Amino acid sequence: MVFSSIIFLFMYLPFVLLIYYIVPRKFRNLFLFIVNLIFYGWGEPIFVLLMLFSTAVDYTHGYFINKYRANKRKAKGFLISSVVINLSLLGFFKYAGFLANTLNVLPFVNLPVLTIPLPIGISFYTFQTMSYSIDVYRGDAPVQKNIITFGTYVALFPQLIAGPIVRYKDVAYQLDHRRETLDQVTHGVKLFMVGLGKKVLIANQMGAMWDAIRETGQANGVLGSWIGIAAYTFQIYFDFSGYSDMACGLGNMFGFEFLKNFNYPYISKTITEFWRRWHISLSTWFREYVYIPLGGNRKGVKRQIFNLLVVWFLTGFWHGAAYNFILWGLYYGIILIIEKFILLKWLEKLPSAIRHIYTLFIVMIGWTLFYFEDMGQLASYLYCMFDFTQGIIGQKALSITISYLPLFIAAALASTPLGAKLYEKIKYNGFVWLPETAYCAVVLILCTASLVNQSYNPFLYFRF
Amino acid sequence: MDNTKENKSFFRFAPLVLFVVFIFTFCILFLVMPKSDYSSTEKRKLEQFPKFSAETLFSGEFTENFETYLADQFFGRNFWKGLNSYYNLCIGNNGADRVYNGNDGYLINVPVEEKESRVQSNINTVAKFSKSIDVPVTVEIVPSTGYIMNDKLPLNHFNYNDNVYFNQIIDVCRNNNIEFIDLREAFKQIANDGTQLYYKTDHHWTTGGAYVGYEHLCKKWGITPTNKDSFNIDTYNDFYGTTYSTSGFWFTKPDTIQIWNNPENTEKNITVDIVEGDTQETYHSMYFLNHLEEDDKYPIFLDGNHPVEYITNTNVKSGRLLIIKDSFSHCFAPFTADNFNSVTLVDLRYYKGSVSEIVKEEKFDKVLVLYGIDNFATDTDLAWLK
Repeated sequence: MVFSSIIFLFMYLPFVLLIYYIVPRKFRNLFLFIVNLIFYGWGEPIFVLLMLFSTAVDYTHGYFINKYRANKRKAKGFLISSVVINLSLLGFFKYAGFLANTLNVLPFVNLPVLTIPLPIGISFYTFQTMSYSIDVYRGDAPVQKNIITFGTYVALFPQLIAGPIVRYKDVAYQLDHRRETLDQVTHGVKLFMVGLGKKVLIANQMGAMWDAIRETGQANGVLGSWIGIAAYTFQIYFDFSGYSDMACGLGNMFGFEFLKNFNYPYISKTITEFWRRWHISLSTWFREYVYIPLGGNRKGVKRQIFNLLVVWFLTGFWHGAAYNFILWGLYYGIILIIEKFILLKWLEKLPSAIRHIYTLFIVMIGWTLFYFEDMGQLASYLYCMFDFTQGIIGQKALSITISYLPLFIAAALASTPLGAKLYEKIKYNGFVWLPETAYCAVVLILCTASLVNQSYNPFLYFRF
Repeated sequence: MDNTKENKSFFRFAPLVLFVVFIFTFCILFLVMPKSDYSSTEKRKLEQFPKFSAETLFSGEFTENFETYLADQFFGRNFWKGLNSYYNLCIGNNGADRVYNGNDGYLINVPVEEKESRVQSNINTVAKFSKSIDVPVTVEIVPSTGYIMNDKLPLNHFNYNDNVYFNQIIDVCRNNNIEFIDLREAFKQIANDGTQLYYKTDHHWTTGGAYVGYEHLCKKWGITPTNKDSFNIDTYNDFYGTTYSTSGFWFTKPDTIQIWNNPENTEKNITVDIVEGDTQETYHSMYFLNHLEEDDKYPIFLDGNHPVEYITNTNVKSGRLLIIKDSFSHCFAPFTADNFNSVTLVDLRYYKGSVSEIVKEEKFDKVLVLYGIDNFATDTDLAWLK
């Protein structure tokens, strides 16, 4: 099930909210555990078993890691076992087909290519369960004795299918001791409405714009091709950050506080800054559970460069089992290394307009790599972005651009903290509830209209 | 900046109250309101509660259909659909759901993209078919509304590819000795003079438009068309067509729909036989006024879509015509009944038998292939023509 759907907004959510606040506190985790599974199983019921398996395995491993805390070797053995099982699940469901295809290129290799549908959100929840085992092993979080509470964490529906990746230690205390307040729930509703608006009113429209322009191919001209990828740049940000906002908002509605996942990435002046603002929970995860354990920057420059490349290879590969994602990850790895050791000093001296342009240029080329799984299509789109022989902008691309121009500008403005700054100014005014409520009403009504009409409403994370 | 005041005011919960009331209201309304089978404004069947079984659940079919069911049966669906369309217009789009919101109340389908076009393969099929029979074949294609009524389109629109498609058709016809009737220039001129050739809320040509098509056909075939002035014209109001239904622009004014009655045609000389599966029903008028009660009034011509229909006019002594057609022929065929003793209409979207078998049995004098260009460019059933 996805948040931006009629079934979620007008069936699942009302029932879950109602019953959640009716049942006594001690049963709330159990209730969440059950409805999480319904949420997850909707569409692909079979994968509920996978979720239960994941929960049972990691619960058991956590238990033994804790039990053998004194015996380093045994504890480490269980940690390794947990990580291996989690990565095997991910590997089997997400990467088996890709690896088989890759190896089949070699002579005399003929592996069967399994076509297993990818369980939604598997990349998110396997990372979460790994964080549990590691946190418990490191002593960063207490072991969870109650398997229901643990299951509630693993499958917590707000962040189950598209993040943020909530580390166990960040919610360990909340799982058992959260106290929902009306102010928190209200804040959750507001955040949810911001996210829903981003997803349905901006991301979906920018996605339709990108699809329309992309189809025209070469005839778009140089500017047309850049406008196309700009539309995708907006789509992916508003879709993903909208999902994260909805997740945090829903978390609030049930008494949870999740960490911020996006912080206006497109206003960054360097790529280093961009990755501090984009998908923060993923970068944090890789830093904490891969980069630092590998030695980070403590073992010399050569080792640091190696570590960075490993992390960015994995970051890319995490986004999907295809070459272009690896390429995309390494692209960022290399740029970040160049920035770290050479470019940052120079960039600081440049006017900020040029730094913005530099960053957006790199990011947009990045999204081109990210979008096209087919290397031929990727190359031809990149070629169009620099091929001045096809004119500036094609007739069709121009027509599409004019159609979406107001929203395109709105998306550009909404990518900056402008709105947040304005809100900051009126936040403590006694009448702030008026614009807040009006905003929520408009978003609710327009999103309902769009969803009832079954307008273009893609789910971008089925590859994750 | 009174921090404490803000914290105490009950109004700070207003967004929460609004949200909860909204989602619960529409949840409850959905649960208690009766469900409908059919939307008369959208002219389509609405999704019903899907079949539930272990099989449909695990295949994902149940959940998918259930979500369509929810959207189709959502309380106030028409309002939401209309709101969505007008909102799209407000934020600068030129239409909604692949329909342009044009000037003077014209709702016009977006052009068929060259990439999606099946014109070449469809006209090739027609050419192949014409070789397999020994009756002369004529092709008549109605240009698209957007191409002819260019000045009614929104300023910002995609190009209509009629010229590309017509040239493809003309080439094949020339090489295969097929007569082709090119209506483009005549239609542009007549539309310029103010005659309404197309409906504003529907993709079809008007009865007046069909008459122009009939005149050109007669000219090509060297027969005399029925004089325009000899018809008694009945005009009916409140016709909302297909582009209206799909676009959701509910405030658009309705069209009028006309029947051009030839006073010489009465129930004594006219027979219409409609074949549907194994049954055949006989009527004595080409116009089915019972459909005037419905939102979709276009089926008043020949009762709408059927696989095979026969029109017989005993006032005319001879002449047998076969029309291979889409729905553009429904208002057109009655004119040809003035010149042919029998007119047979075959709709390949519903008829899957062999047409050349019919040609062999029925000894036709003429075969006409008549389509609207959008249908001709997207139709996948013409491939069945054999």
